[in-house]
Amino acid sequence: MKKRLISVLFAATLSLTSVMGLTASAEELRFWNVGAEGNDLAIVEKAIEIYNSTTESGYTIVNEPTQNDAYKEKLVIAMSSGECPDMYTHWSGGPMNEYINSGYAQDVTELFNANGLSDKIVQGGIAQSTYNDSIYAIPYLNVSVSGIYYNKTIFDDLGLAVPTTIGELETVCDTLVENGIIPFALANSTKWTGSMYFMNLAARYGGLEPFAKAVAGEGSFEDECFIWAGEKIVEWVEKGYFPEGVNSLSEDDGQARQLLYTGEAAMSCIGSWYTSTIKSDSEEFFDENMGWFAFPAYEGAEDVDPSILIGTLGDNFISFNCEGEALDAAVEFASIFSTPEMVEFMAECGKIPPTTDAADYITDPVTKTIFEAVQNASAVQLWYDQYLPSAVANAHLDGLQEVFGLTKTPAEAQAMMQAAMEEYNANK
Amino acid sequence: MKENSLQKSRQRETNKVAAVFLAPVMLILVLYVFYPIVNTFQTSLYEWNGISADKIFIGISNWSKLIKDGNFWFAFSNNIKIMILSICIQIPLGLAMATFLDFAGKKTNVFKVIWFIPMLVSSVAIGFLFTYALATKGGMISSISNFFGGPNIDLLGNPSTALYTIIAIIAWQFTPFYMVYCMAAYTNISPEVFEAARIDGATRGQYFWKIALPLLTPSLKSAAILSMVGSLKYFDLIYVMTNGGPGRSTELMATYMYKLSFSEFNMGYGSAVAAGMFLLISVIALFTMKVINGKGED
Amino acid sequence: MEQYKKNKIKSRICWVIASILAVIQLLIAILPFFFMVLNSFKEKFEMLTKGVFTLPDTFYIDNYKEVLSGKFFTFFLNSVIVLLVALTILLLVAACASYPLSRFKFKLNAPIYALIVACMSIPVHVTLIPIFKMTRSMHLYDTIWSLIGPYVAMGVPISVFILTSFMKGIPKEIEESAEIDGCNKFKMFTKMIFPLSKPGLSTLAIYNGVNMWNEFSFAYTLTQSAEHRTLPLAVWEFRGRYSMNTPMIMAVLVLTLLPMLILFIFAQDKLVKGMTAGAVKG
Repeated sequence: MKKRLISVLFAATLSLTSVMGLTASAEELRFWNVGAEGNDLAIVEKAIEIYNSTTESGYTIVNEPTQNDAYKEKLVIAMSSGECPDMYTHWSGGPMNEYINSGYAQDVTELFNANGLSDKIVQGGIAQSTYNDSIYAIPYLNVSVSGIYYNKTIFDDLGLAVPTTIGELETVCDTLVENGIIPFALANSTKWTGSMYFMNLAARYGGLEPFAKAVAGEGSFEDECFIWAGEKIVEWVEKGYFPEGVNSLSEDDGQARQLLYTGEAAMSCIGSWYTSTIKSDSEEFFDENMGWFAFPAYEGAEDVDPSILIGTLGDNFISFNCEGEALDAAVEFASIFSTPEMVEFMAECGKIPPTTDAADYITDPVTKTIFEAVQNASAVQLWYDQYLPSAVANAHLDGLQEVFGLTKTPAEAQAMMQAAMEEYNANK
Repeated sequence: MKENSLQKSRQRETNKVAAVFLAPVMLILVLYVFYPIVNTFQTSLYEWNGISADKIFIGISNWSKLIKDGNFWFAFSNNIKIMILSICIQIPLGLAMATFLDFAGKKTNVFKVIWFIPMLVSSVAIGFLFTYALATKGGMISSISNFFGGPNIDLLGNPSTALYTIIAIIAWQFTPFYMVYCMAAYTNISPEVFEAARIDGATRGQYFWKIALPLLTPSLKSAAILSMVGSLKYFDLIYVMTNGGPGRSTELMATYMYKLSFSEFNMGYGSAVAAGMFLLISVIALFTMKVINGKGED
Repeated sequence: MEQYKKNKIKSRICWVIASILAVIQLLIAILPFFFMVLNSFKEKFEMLTKGVFTLPDTFYIDNYKEVLSGKFFTFFLNSVIVLLVALTILLLVAACASYPLSRFKFKLNAPIYALIVACMSIPVHVTLIPIFKMTRSMHLYDTIWSLIGPYVAMGVPISVFILTSFMKGIPKEIEESAEIDGCNKFKMFTKMIFPLSKPGLSTLAIYNGVNMWNEFSFAYTLTQSAEHRTLPLAVWEFRGRYSMNTPMIMAVLVLTLLPMLILFIFAQDKLVKGMTAGAVKG
């Protein structure tokens, strides 16, 4: 009886699957991305619709969106099995370099220029897509830099002005603490959120050179600018600038935003995707209360350029795992995102497209301020945790989280990060 | 002489029947379990980022690294803590619940259903709800502490309490399984045994300690093995709630392996961790089984 | 007599304490679920501003409306099919394997049993890549059928382990009397052992059923298009990279949980009765 049942089930399985046999035809290009919902999905779908209805390449694009959380895992599994999609998105940095070194990303420098993208895409975005002097990816989705969102209403009530130096920022924080308001809404169980403060402090103290040198193995993550940043964070934790139990609050579960919305906290240093995040929670709250300023300058470091920003000029980058005509078609598709029609649509969706003409389409005042800061920035450093090899990034995030929890000293945390970097360089 | 050959042919018959019954299970295990395990051991001998076509054979380097890897052994010690506490909390509690239900009979069906609910709640929801419930400011534990005049308590953000907090949540989630498990074990005791004991004047307590518990012991031993294996390869709520943090204080073998393999592009070493984990768990489980079954009846 | 009375009083007191503890456990078990349901009736911004542990201002049912107007039923149907097929195969296969392991004497018995127990220790994530490859080569990728194999395989070791120990508990006399009646081993299995194992099987059905119903990793790795996703993936339409609509997610999760709860209410009750009857007969 059971045997028959099993064989029947087996037969059913086989027949059903043969009907559903999944072999993408040669003229279809599979595009993996993380635009699984909302505006991100709409943007990719619109671009694909435009491309598929206008292209003369003979290729069509198939959208295969995947939810963000386990996307990297899925990509590893696919590549490992030799099933890498024709096009896929990533976040540049360390993982992109791995994809390139493993042969899953094509050099598209020539096609990039042939499609006129070198004039259309912001320079910093091109830089973040470049590896060993060749372009391997095309940034398309969003300019996200870290800066400080603040509650204008609270600032007005307490007569506070937007700070331009870290000293002024600390005065603002002190006033807020006196009034029972938490200065920074930080939820750090997510780990990378705390890194925002660290990266900005380090960049304001010592610019970007120490970081670049430390990565190259010429300098060290125990450089004084990193130690100083860590110590500043300890000082701020002790002065009550962050919420109590900061390491148990979860950004993903909205606990930082909750502090902003209830007025318990007044500021948050975070990436500029927060504009659309907050707006999707409540447009009204954002318009009434939210303002933005770049991370203030450090008085003690006059020779450091305070226009430097930390962030990503593209957020999502497309890389290509196809050749010949297919590659031509794929790059042609990726170029669609920087056409005026798409730029306008993306701006409407609350994004800052990484294109030179984005300013023309941005209407939101806060977004305008952010984009101006980006245009004025002398350099934009990609997030540490994205830029660094992942093992080093994890060492950084783990150590820093304990700095926030006062269970590790900045020196210990930086030593841990440096050790991970040295081990990585030694194995390379 | 003749009897002997009869016995032999009978044994041969038994072997054949056993083979037929075991064939499907072996087929499935070979495909889906043995093959991945062999694959893992193989990969552990290579330096490999997990995606590239070229792997570099490095012999047992990953293994010698593993033996000296403080992170791995720390994660292992966390797993051991989970294991000990899970066995000590979940099984007695599950048994107590099942015993209560067994004594009280059908009228407590509502209890049974409600007690079972935690098992059904997905890890996503558990992560979310407990994160809020345990918030330092305004969370339940802090509110209780405040009520008695105490300070706010940060359970998940503190490296010395985070793991134990998660263990408590794991217990919340899995105790219902041991309840159901023990309920099934109770059904192996026929009602007449209970009736007879009652007629002899035994109280419920006496019946439980003197009659039911010894009869349940073999099942409880198996439950302990289950809990052991489950705890040693645990992954879910740590991944959802702390991701190994604060710092690395709640890192487990499985989360460590996952990070190495899928985010740090270190599949070779990640495989060594996985294989090491597999060996450790198997040895611990089989050894324990030998020990606890050796003494008992057989 | 005096002793008997004392015992009775003591037993009463114990019973009262037990009942109180039982009620406390009731609260502990249900409270998170209660708040889960409560928050599924909130508007997103309301939950964020007023907190998670408050009553909703109004019972906002739009979350449910939106969830149900999407692909929810497709996911639900997929989940049901996967569960039914995988669970049936799993229970049959596990029962077949446990029978000889628990009741036959043969040389390889102990080694095979140890092997299967060792299989319980496999970390799920190491199977993802091999199984992905296998699924591609079997042309099952992005179909719900790709999930059957892994789901059965992940449940098999633990199920064989539990069932074997359960079957060992069935009295030997039953078999002996049946053997005298001329039952062969196959008949013995279908007529005696399998029916008598119902309590064990029901425990396994519940345990594996819940696991399969909530399983994420394989579903995420082996399926792609919306038509072939199962329920645990339904959440992703409400969860972006930087924001998520928690009340909506809670609505999805409540809807995911309810069928299992209802099933438990019915199945548990029936199976307990069935097995008691079986045990009495034995």
